[in-house]
Amino acid sequence: MSKKTRKELLTHLALIIVSFIVLAPVLFALAKSTQTRAQVYHYPPILGPGTALVDNYRAAWYNFSLGLYMRNTLIVAGVVMFFKTLLSMLAGLGLVYFDFPFKNAIFYFILFTLMMPTEIMIVALFKLVSNIGWGNSYLALTVPFLASATGVFLFRQHFASISPHLVDAARVDGAGPVRFLFSVLIPMSWNTVGALALIQFIYMWNQYLWPLIIIRENTHQLIQVGLRSMTSQQDVTNWGIMMAGAIIAMIPPLVIFILLRQQFTSGFALSQEK
Amino acid sequence: MKSTRKLFILAVVMVIALMVVAACASKTTTKTNPAQQKVVTKIVEVTRIVEAAPKENVPKGATVVNFWHAFGGGRKLLIQRMVDDYNYTHAGTYVHVENKGSYRDTLNAAILAAQQGNPPHLVQIFEVGSQLALDSGIFVPFSDVAKPSEYHPDDLIGGVANYYKFNGKFYSMPWNSSNPILYYNKDIFRKAGLDPEKPPQTFEDMLNVCDKIVSSGAAKNCISWPLHGWFFEQWMANMGAELANNGNGRDARATEVNLTSDAAKTIVKWWKEMYDKGYYAYSGKLEDWDGSDAIFVSGQAAMEITSTSDVTNRQRDAKENGFELGTSYLPYPASSVRQGVVVGGASIWLTKGHPQKEMDAAKNFVIWFTNIENAIRWHKATGYFPIRKNSVTVLKEEDWFTRNPAYKAAFDQLLETKPTKATQGAVIGAFPQVRTIVEQAIEKVLAGKASVDDALAAAKQQADKAISDYNKSVK
Amino acid sequence: MYPAKFKGKWLPLAFLSPTLLILVVFLYYPVIQTFVLSTYRVAFLGLRKHFIGLGNFIELAQDPAYYHTVLVTVIITTAIVVVGMGISLAIALLANQPIKGAPIYHILLIWPYALSPAVAGVIFLFLFSPHFGTVNYLMSSLTGKELNWLGDPTLAILLIIMASIWKNLGYNVVFYIAGLQNINTEILEAASIDGAGPWRKFWSVTFALISPMTFFLLITNITYSFFDIFGMVDIVTKGGPLDATNVMIYNLYRDGFEYYRSGMAAAQSIILFVAVVGLTLVQFRTSGRHVHYGG
Repeated sequence: MSKKTRKELLTHLALIIVSFIVLAPVLFALAKSTQTRAQVYHYPPILGPGTALVDNYRAAWYNFSLGLYMRNTLIVAGVVMFFKTLLSMLAGLGLVYFDFPFKNAIFYFILFTLMMPTEIMIVALFKLVSNIGWGNSYLALTVPFLASATGVFLFRQHFASISPHLVDAARVDGAGPVRFLFSVLIPMSWNTVGALALIQFIYMWNQYLWPLIIIRENTHQLIQVGLRSMTSQQDVTNWGIMMAGAIIAMIPPLVIFILLRQQFTSGFALSQEK
Repeated sequence: MKSTRKLFILAVVMVIALMVVAACASKTTTKTNPAQQKVVTKIVEVTRIVEAAPKENVPKGATVVNFWHAFGGGRKLLIQRMVDDYNYTHAGTYVHVENKGSYRDTLNAAILAAQQGNPPHLVQIFEVGSQLALDSGIFVPFSDVAKPSEYHPDDLIGGVANYYKFNGKFYSMPWNSSNPILYYNKDIFRKAGLDPEKPPQTFEDMLNVCDKIVSSGAAKNCISWPLHGWFFEQWMANMGAELANNGNGRDARATEVNLTSDAAKTIVKWWKEMYDKGYYAYSGKLEDWDGSDAIFVSGQAAMEITSTSDVTNRQRDAKENGFELGTSYLPYPASSVRQGVVVGGASIWLTKGHPQKEMDAAKNFVIWFTNIENAIRWHKATGYFPIRKNSVTVLKEEDWFTRNPAYKAAFDQLLETKPTKATQGAVIGAFPQVRTIVEQAIEKVLAGKASVDDALAAAKQQADKAISDYNKSVK
Repeated sequence: MYPAKFKGKWLPLAFLSPTLLILVVFLYYPVIQTFVLSTYRVAFLGLRKHFIGLGNFIELAQDPAYYHTVLVTVIITTAIVVVGMGISLAIALLANQPIKGAPIYHILLIWPYALSPAVAGVIFLFLFSPHFGTVNYLMSSLTGKELNWLGDPTLAILLIIMASIWKNLGYNVVFYIAGLQNINTEILEAASIDGAGPWRKFWSVTFALISPMTFFLLITNITYSFFDIFGMVDIVTKGGPLDATNVMIYNLYRDGFEYYRSGMAAAQSIILFVAVVGLTLVQFRTSGRHVHYGG
């Protein structure tokens, strides 16, 4: 065996071990999702599949309308992903390809919001949004999230890494900034778009507190609130069903990741210095 | 290229227009003027169409009643089924029922919604939130809206009706009422050579029984219950001790808690002894109902003290895991006389400021929802009390309690409760916080970080401050 | 720096305006409102309020329990950031080796990220529950010993840290892999020719080149451990035992939404906010200085 193959085998081995450790809790959840309540609570613990696979997944899907919540969340996350990307791109364009007063100040003004999570000002935000009249609507779940410091930051980095000659070339062609954005920047930005879309999707997918208080009707509610309604304190929780729900709810983010993975890894601009 | 550009500009214009609407509306944070409101509603409507969420079939012209509750899991489904029945049989009214997370989430959501002038008509509020609900000023006493001949307060079981009477008014309709009972595993009792029909009655009995169970190796631990302030409160009541001053907060607003009383010390000392001897086990987390359930259901403890509302669930667990279940009264110290228990659980409150038609519809629904038949249905499905005397009569005629002895202990315990200020339950504004303070004090004692006396004295100081802060804030 | 620019002063502002507008309306304005709220004693989430100036802050400053909360937050945050990012970088380096099937590993490693913190919390609760958890069962059958994961303060902190690191591992690894894949291999080869050993090559070349990524992850990991950890703590320990895992965001939530002390909660929001801003500024000054951002 050559030294190279041995090294490759060792790497495989190490990666298999690491992947297993990382995945073990998920596999554990998968096993629990097939068990009845008594099996979940059995001691010694049952680590293999239980007898309630079909029951649990059916209950999660039908009784707790996970399908509806997932559809709602997909819509909200989709809208946020699209507009957030668009707005961040525009901001990046303005910040990189123009000179204007207080440019750095404005950039820091945007970056600063990275440190303002919804959680710490939720009462104030609730008042504001319901005074606008958006309580119980998807506007409340989308519009406040359309601007993104992360997005602006990523696009600014990415645009800055694109060769300045391209801009010159575009100007020789007589293209304005808008045409430049569409014909030059966007085709070169799919990787950043993919990365941002992934982050934003998962961010929206995991929203809990905000939708809980701002959305009044459960027909409009999002997935995490739906999951939580399976574990409310006022009844014994059927953990098997809850785990089944968690496994189902995991699928969309994973699919999105697998779809966007190539974009994401093959050109994340942050490390490229020009 | 040109068309792309046009599209793009259109998109930007749209986004900016949206922002402008947002900005304008946000400037008028105190009052939205009707014109803007209209524009905004239009936008909301448009997004509704885009969403195309499955609409519930609200009959045309029906009075819609919104009802928020805190039940998740299987009970949420049961409530939905009951409400569906109502809607099906009561044309002209449509009850829209929503689960709003935990008890606390539900109360928070209701208060926030009320601030926006759009509260749900009916809200389920847990018992310790009663003073909060009173002070919030967003609710109207039920007895102001409904006539006694409509909701028959005399038919309510004494203990249940007592809890929700404040300043002489009947404020909210009791719904899910429960108190703690002892559940035990008869198989483990047999294994330990104990009489499975004689569960321990007093604190002292408990120590003896536990000694036999643990030393015989019949189970790893003897008993479990969640480290939850609720149990402390129940034991205080059971000994006839009031938790708060001013008649447990019912004669006047409570300003102090009686955490340094002898009753309090007796409870915590016993708790500590049980723990030190390895009889009492809990998951290590506060208020962890599931943790205690797991210890008992998995056979690692012979007994569990928890809410009567778990009778149905616990019976199912026992059957699945193959052991025989028994139930009995909450144990009490032999030095005192058993006074009974406080009614825990929650009730349905009516919010203010709706048109008369909606108020009537909401009231009628509540009356139906807690009527004799529904109280029976609710009791059978959950183990919560049938809150009406007539329901009990019906259940007895059906031989329900003979066929389901597990439900009997819960029920008898409540019927035997002596109506005093102590068993009526404390009313404290800062109750949620006081509960945590008590729990943390017990936690400290169990961990050996403080003596019983010191921990309770410190807890009293903290709790009194929390109460005074609260009282100041609502003035 | 960039010779190639478009002309116009108002056009760039037009491009920036939607973003700025949303940030001002939905982030800055509520933050300012929160500032205002922090000077009141508030009942019922704002239903009633009395102005008390700095009263809330003074009370916090005099409360030893709050110092404990801050300390716990510092410990947990430091552990999550340092250990979490260290492990992530190690895994990323491993997964970035030129071997067959590498993308499969990349996909396997992202899984924890697809779960919400609360769901991750439920899984860890079941794994580590002292009485019926799998970990204690395995431990007792192997060593005869069991650990009180939820009842022992030190272990509970450890559990929260482990669970949080696990949950965020996928995110960190994926970003690091992305960063590593974009390192120009020519530079590494040049370093090898210069005779740099693998260790030196890593520190002076690889690590230096991915420093912008490290910096970015530093900020996101700090905000993660300050804020997103809430769902995890709520499910796994409820801040206990003996307040051992009562981090600032959990304390704030309890004051605001369980005890109805909104003014107090607002004051804590402000403290939390100032802390994160301060930390980030320090980073900009130190690690950020070496990172060239262009523009």
